[in-house]
Amino acid sequence: MDDQDLRIRNHVYGSFVREQHAPTPAAVSQALGLEENAVAESFRRLHDAHALVLEPDGSGIRMLNPFSVVETPYRVFCDGREWFGNCAWDALAVLGALRTDGRVESECPDCGEQLRVEVADGRVAGGDDPIFHVLVPARHWWDDVVFT
Amino acid sequence: MVFLRSEEHLRRWLETNGRERGETLTVAKLNELARNWYWTRLEPDWRPRPPEESQAILDELGLTGEFWRLY
Repeated sequence: MDDQDLRIRNHVYGSFVREQHAPTPAAVSQALGLEENAVAESFRRLHDAHALVLEPDGSGIRMLNPFSVVETPYRVFCDGREWFGNCAWDALAVLGALRTDGRVESECPDCGEQLRVEVADGRVAGGDDPIFHVLVPARHWWDDVVFT
Repeated sequence: MVFLRSEEHLRRWLETNGRERGETLTVAKLNELARNWYWTRLEPDWRPRPPEESQAILDELGLTGEFWRLY
């Protein structure tokens, strides 16, 4: 991952937060004046460096942690917008990354009931007080990050 | 990494899915962790964080022990 990869990565994140959809290599190439193939190769290096996560078939971006590009059960509501986290951790982290307050909603995987967490002034301020469980030990989080 | 309604729901979910228990955190502790971990993620000059710094974030919240070792 070199300086150009980082420039591309930072452009992708900025674009995603503005537009709420992940840009394609073609769009990044146009915005930054780079060859599309060079951007696609950069996406792969960024994926390998865990700076973003591509779909398994390489068709596009799956995760811009803590954001999920695709719909997940971890919904985040803030500033009149809705986002998706990749997991419970990432859902709360969306509020941290955006440096704002809001609400996270998900479902208990045991009973399917909705769970809600409210964050105000950066702190948990209400909701259903769920517990958070991590199945995979930290050393293996990136072995299969979608499962983690 | 999931939210569950309670310890009872966690036990049942692990049993149903044949999984071993990992680690649990309160939602307040998770919120601290999530904010510290991702606070700089959208800064325009973001650069990757060395693993030692990520480990320090876990350590500072008392998340020590083999389960929380990143490397």
